This record gives sequence, structure tokens and C-alpha cells, in this order.
Amino acid sequence: MEPIRKKNQNKFFSWLDERYNLTGLIDFAKKKSVPKFRETIWYYFGGIALLLFVVQVISGILLLMYYKGTEDLAFESVYFISTKVSFGWLIRSIHSWSANLMVLSVFIHMFSVYFLKAFRKPRELTWYTGIGLLAISMAFGFSGYLLPWNELAFFATKVGTDIVGEVPLIGEPILKLLRGGEDVTGATLSRFFGFHVAIFPGIFVILLTLHLLMIQRQGIAEPEDYKNLPPAEKKTIPFFPNFAMRELLIWLIVINILAILSVFFPWELGTKADPFTSAPVGIKPEWYFLFMFQLFKYLPGEILFLPGEFVGIFLFGIGGILWAIVPFWDKNSPEGKRNKLLTYFGIFVIIFIIVFTILGFILD
Amino acid sequence: MKSKIKYLLTSVLFLILASNFLFGQTNDQCFTCHLDLDDANANLFKSDIHSSKGITCADCHGGDATSDDMEVAMSKEKGFFGVPSRIDRYQVCVQCHADKNKMKKFGSILPTDQYENLQNSIHFKPSFNNQGPIVDCITCHSIHDIKKVTDPTSKVYPTKITALCGSCHSSAEFMKQYNPALPIDQVSKYKSSIHGILNAKGDPNAAECVSCHGSHEIQPVKDSRSLVYATNIPSVCSNCHSDAKLMSKYKIPTDQFEKFVTSVHGVALLEKGDLSSPSCNDCHGNHGAIPPGVESISKVCGTCHVLNMELFEQSPHKKAFDENNFPECESCHGNHGIIYSTDEMIGTQESAVCMDCHSAEDDNKGFNVAGEMKKLIDSLKTEDSETKVILDEAVQKGMDVSDATFSLKDVRQVLIQSRTTIHSFNLEKFKEKIDEGFTIASKAKLTGEEAIDEFYYRRIGLGFSTVIVTLLVIGLYIKLKKVEKKS
Repeated sequence: MEPIRKKNQNKFFSWLDERYNLTGLIDFAKKKSVPKFRETIWYYFGGIALLLFVVQVISGILLLMYYKGTEDLAFESVYFISTKVSFGWLIRSIHSWSANLMVLSVFIHMFSVYFLKAFRKPRELTWYTGIGLLAISMAFGFSGYLLPWNELAFFATKVGTDIVGEVPLIGEPILKLLRGGEDVTGATLSRFFGFHVAIFPGIFVILLTLHLLMIQRQGIAEPEDYKNLPPAEKKTIPFFPNFAMRELLIWLIVINILAILSVFFPWELGTKADPFTSAPVGIKPEWYFLFMFQLFKYLPGEILFLPGEFVGIFLFGIGGILWAIVPFWDKNSPEGKRNKLLTYFGIFVIIFIIVFTILGFILD
Repeated sequence: MKSKIKYLLTSVLFLILASNFLFGQTNDQCFTCHLDLDDANANLFKSDIHSSKGITCADCHGGDATSDDMEVAMSKEKGFFGVPSRIDRYQVCVQCHADKNKMKKFGSILPTDQYENLQNSIHFKPSFNNQGPIVDCITCHSIHDIKKVTDPTSKVYPTKITALCGSCHSSAEFMKQYNPALPIDQVSKYKSSIHGILNAKGDPNAAECVSCHGSHEIQPVKDSRSLVYATNIPSVCSNCHSDAKLMSKYKIPTDQFEKFVTSVHGVALLEKGDLSSPSCNDCHGNHGAIPPGVESISKVCGTCHVLNMELFEQSPHKKAFDENNFPECESCHGNHGIIYSTDEMIGTQESAVCMDCHSAEDDNKGFNVAGEMKKLIDSLKTEDSETKVILDEAVQKGMDVSDATFSLKDVRQVLIQSRTTIHSFNLEKFKEKIDEGFTIASKAKLTGEEAIDEFYYRRIGLGFSTVIVTLLVIGLYIKLKKVEKKS
């Protein structure tokens, strides 16, 4: 019995191999390896972000079956999903928690790439696509936050878009483009819904494909210390099956965490947004915008004859651009040398984000 | 000698002037001539209060009252202006009546705020033809024959005031110029009231228009400054009805106000400012005020408590109450001091009002119905609170039971309705209503229980999936170790 099954399997494999050259793929996978060193753990966060993106797509599609993106029905439809649809509460909770974990994974992935200097030549474009993916992830969060059309989301969107409106010259047109008018209304909700389920996923998939293709083409980056080791001391682990199994193991743990969070801390819906009421106390954006929001609170009304908010936007703008184009200004990049300034700048950014996020949670 | 004559003449003149001043006799040549001419106004002025105070014609009409020469007395140079204009004739009265010192000079103790009050009142609004205010001093007090208010011949004496107010307020022609919606039957209603009857008999203590509405300060009834604004009425009525000395003559109690302020109606009206709550006039009438008769009490209460009245009238109690001459609603609920009705009023326990007439020994049926009704209402209340506990537990567990919580509020509605249904004193009807509440409560209870089950189901589901995933993790880890050892 056994030989017959094996014979059939081989026959099926030969049939596929003849058409799709699977042997070539298997050979490629066999040769593919990952450097093994002290910081290998950081390599997994890109994969975690990828898993969570897949969870987002699946849970998002399921939510789309019931969600209605209009001012009158958005809140009611989310309420219906949470209370009446079988496992609707779980799907919504998973979508919300997974979104937050995904942004967190992308952040960790970005910082690990930054500190391991993996953005250096020849991987500049991989870094830029990664920055693009982070921006879209945050935009996903910002647009998705409004979709339940609850009070907190409504006013957080109002405040968030107000800040965008402060950008000189282009602020006002961007504000109108985002809101679909002067104020946050049903038009804003329709727009955000469109961005969230069509435009952003489209851009994200293109950037993600490029990002993954570049990694496959160039192989996994090796840190400078590792690169400088003699070949005999360079330890590697095969991508298949070892690294893939480790990744799968972590994925399973992440799925477990996600399930526990979703069941024990189901995402709250709050009360329906009422544009005619005044903003409730304690309006806060999602945690990944909190450090920016908190800094804006500390800025005085005027700094050197310039409006405080304008200075804040300017500082964040400059900081963000500097961060995004780090492969360009990292002068030690071509030589593959250490760059302490770069490390200190990274540490400063992490401390700044952590401190201001904590302040945002604790205060007010 | 000459100087002696001069001294004598001066003394005589001084005495004449002093006696004129002291005894109110004026040297009013206008009055003297007009009296000689048999002028009607001069004849009226003879008995006018102002005349007795030494006020001359010239004080109101201008001119020189001391001159017997008409040309001089009524000359413009002397300030004569004749009949004051309708627009501002009240100024003639105001010049003295708003001046404390002048009034004191005439020995008057009258208040001097009448003009100020009148200015703020509804009556002082401009008339439709813009000929001064709608009502001024003369409209009520007239001219030339003004008397003290306490003088029975005064136009504003208590027994005459109704006719005076009615001269405008009972005239449809007049009233429609200002407020066509205002009824004009106040006087005819008043005449039918106990106040009106006593007033017609000449009792100056019986309430008339001014007693309740005030005089110079009258405001529209819907104005909160008005003495007869809903929340002010109890104290206005109590001005007389809480006066034991005054009421002793009529042999009526004086504790109505005291009881009312602590009653459910009084608290709602006076403390909560709920204008839908009745004031004295809502039960007793206003202009036609009279105590409701025994048989009409349910009709009076029924103007607001419509269902209670309808059910009572169809109940077996109606006949029994009529036969025994029991005041209907009042027998169980009281009158002025009606307290908040509780479920303790029904049943067979000591606090139940049913026990005032029914007892286990004499009347098995009434006694049993009362006991059964109490049992049913109590059990629905218990079911309601038990369901609430279950729903609260579900909410605490993070489950959404808002629909059930919302529908449970209908039980409270059923309880209110069942308390109304008690007035039918029909057990079947009452049970039917209570059953509606039980149906709602048990449905909500089931939803709550299902939500709690769902909570545990989710926890168990999570437990299973966590165990499966953890087993997979362990399996994968073992496999990984094997693979890594091999390689």
C-alpha cells in the first residue's frame, strides 16, 4: 500500500515540476540561509507584521460583510456586528487588537533594521518601501479608528485633521481633502472608509510585494560585526525548515496572544458620535500618535513669532524626513563603519517616543 | 391805632388760613363758583376724600383757586390747563401719591408705590388706540367722587370691586381688543362661588378679584410674578384660609396649606416646580371656587387621573361608596395632604387602606382580592429585581444586554399600569396586567442568562483554542529541536 502512495505522490510532483520547475524553487529554498548571531530574534518581527497583516485582511473582509460606511448606519452596524452576528464580537476585537499589534511589530521591525544598519547599501530601497509600509500602517489605523463613528473617534479625528490643517500652504487643501469639506462629517467617514478598504490596501500590497521581492533578491542583511567575521566563524541557519519553523512557532504564540487579548479585553464601542455636542474630556488618539499629540500639548501658543503648532509640525516633519532618508545622510554607510551619531539619534527617538507616550497615558 | 388795626387784621387772616389748613376748609374759589353753578363734578367733589384733605380744583386742573375772577383763575399765566389729557392724566395723581412727603403732609399712611406697581403691571401697557395706558388710576378709582377703600361707597370697596373689574373683563367687545382668548365669564363664575355668594351678601372678608390678583401690580396669570401664577396660588389662598381668626367665622379648618405643602402634589408643584401638578384652583376651581361634593370628587381627580376614575366608576366600589356617602378618591388617598401612594396601601396588612373597611371575618371576597393583588404586585417586583441582578452580572462580565435592559424598563411601566388597574378592584383584570410584566421580565431574564452562558462559552472556547495552539507550539518546538540537532 505504502509504495503505491509514494509512487502516486512522485507522479503528482513530477507533473507539477514539469510545468512549474518546482525543483528550482526547492533548490533555492535549500540554499537560503539566515545569519545566526546574538540579535537574530529581531529578524522575526517583519514576519510577525506580515502575519498580522494577513489577519487584518481576513478579519477586515469578514467585517465588510456587515459594516455600513455611512453617518447614519456606521455605529449601528458595528453595534450589530458586536452583539448580533455570530462571532462578530471576536472578529471585530481581533481586527482591532491585530491592528495595534501590527503597528507595534512594524515599529519594532523598523528600529531593529535601523540599529542593525540593515538599511545601508545595497538595501536603501528596501528601507524606503519599509518606511512607506509604516506610514500606510499608521494611516490604516487613523482611518480605521473613525469607522465605528463613536464619540471618541469622531473628536480624535477632528483634532488629528486640525493638526494637519496647520501645515503651511498645503495644510488647508489636505484638510479639505481628508474631511471632504470644512468639518468632520458623513463625507469624512465615506472618504476614510474608501481609503481604509481600497486605496491603502492597494498601495500597501504593492509596497509589500516590492519589499519582499527585494529581500528575496538581495538576501537577508548581515550586521557589520557579523560581516567582518572570518567565514569559518559565520554561523547560519537554513531558512527551510529551521528558520521557517521558528517563525511559525512565533506566529502561533502571537495568535495565542491575539486570542487572549480579544476575549479578555474586547474592544469597546462607546457612544455614537454627535457632531453637535462638545468634545468629551480625555480625547486621545491611538497610542502610536500619542507622543506627537502630547508634544503638541506642551508647545506654547507662540515660539519665536511663529505659531506653536506650526513649530511642532515643522519639527516632526524635519525629524520624520531625516529618519526616512537615513541611508542618504549616513556618511559611513559606504565604508560599512560604525556610526555612533546614528545610534545615539535612534536611542533619542526611542526614549522620546516612550516618554511622551507614557506621559500621554498617565496625564489628563 | 393804625398799627393795632393792622395787627388785628393780620391775626384774623392768619387764623382763617390756619383753620383752613387744619380743618380742611379751603379757600377754593373754583369749587365755590362751580358749586353755585350746580356743576355735577363740583357736587361729586363735595364728598371726595381729596376735598376733605383740602385739595383744590387747581391742584389737579391748574390755575389760581384763590381768585374769584374767572379770567384770572383760569388763565394760562396761572397755569390753568383744564381737563388733563387721557394719555397722561395719571400724572396728576402721581404727583402726590408717589411722593412720601406730600402724602405725609396730608396725614396719609397710604403706600406710595402704587404708581411703580402699576407701571410694571399688565394694565399699564399702552391702549390699542395709543391713548395712554389701558388702565390708569381714574379707570378704577374714578374722578371727583374718590373715597377711601374702606368706605362702602368707594368704587373699589370689596363688595363693589367685582362689578368694577367686570366692567371690562366681562365685556367681549372690550376684551377682544387686547386678549381675545381670555375668557369673560369670571364674574358669572364668581357669583356662583362661595366667595361670590358671601360677597353678594355684603361680607367684605370674602375673597374678591383684588384678594387674589392684587391691585396695582396685576400681572398675566402665566407670568411667574403674578400672585395667581400656579406656584403662588397656594400661598395666596392661605393668606385667608390659614388665618384661624378669620376662618373661625366660617367654621372651616385652616390646615389645608400646611397639609398641601407636604403632599405629593405640593412637593411636585412647590419644590420641583412641576406646573402640571395641581394647585388649589385645579380642584376647587378659581373664580367659581367651591368645595367639590362627595360624589364629584372622582370627577375632579379624574381630570388628571383619567384611567383611575374610569376604572373606579366601573368597579364594585362605586355603588358601595355612593350608598354609604363615602367621598370617593379621598376615602383612601386623603385630600390636601395626599401622600405618595405606595404598594403598602393595598393588601391585608395593617398599613393597607383596604383594611379600613374590609376584614377577614366580615368580608371574605374583598379581603381575599386585596391580599391576592398585593401578592401579585410583590412577586412581579421580585421578578423584576432578580432579572436586574442577572442583567447586571452579564454587564459586569462585559456582555451586551442593552436590549434586554431596555425592555425590562417596560416592567416598571406595567407596574405603574397595574397600580392604576387596582382601581378596577377586579382581580382577573389585574392579573392580566401583571402577567404582561412577567412575560417581559422572564424574556429579559432568559437573555441575561444566555449572555452569562455565552461569556463562559467564550472562555471555554478560548481555553480549548489556547490549549490546541500551545500543543502545536510544543510539538513544533520538539520537531525544531530534532531538525536542528540533525543539521
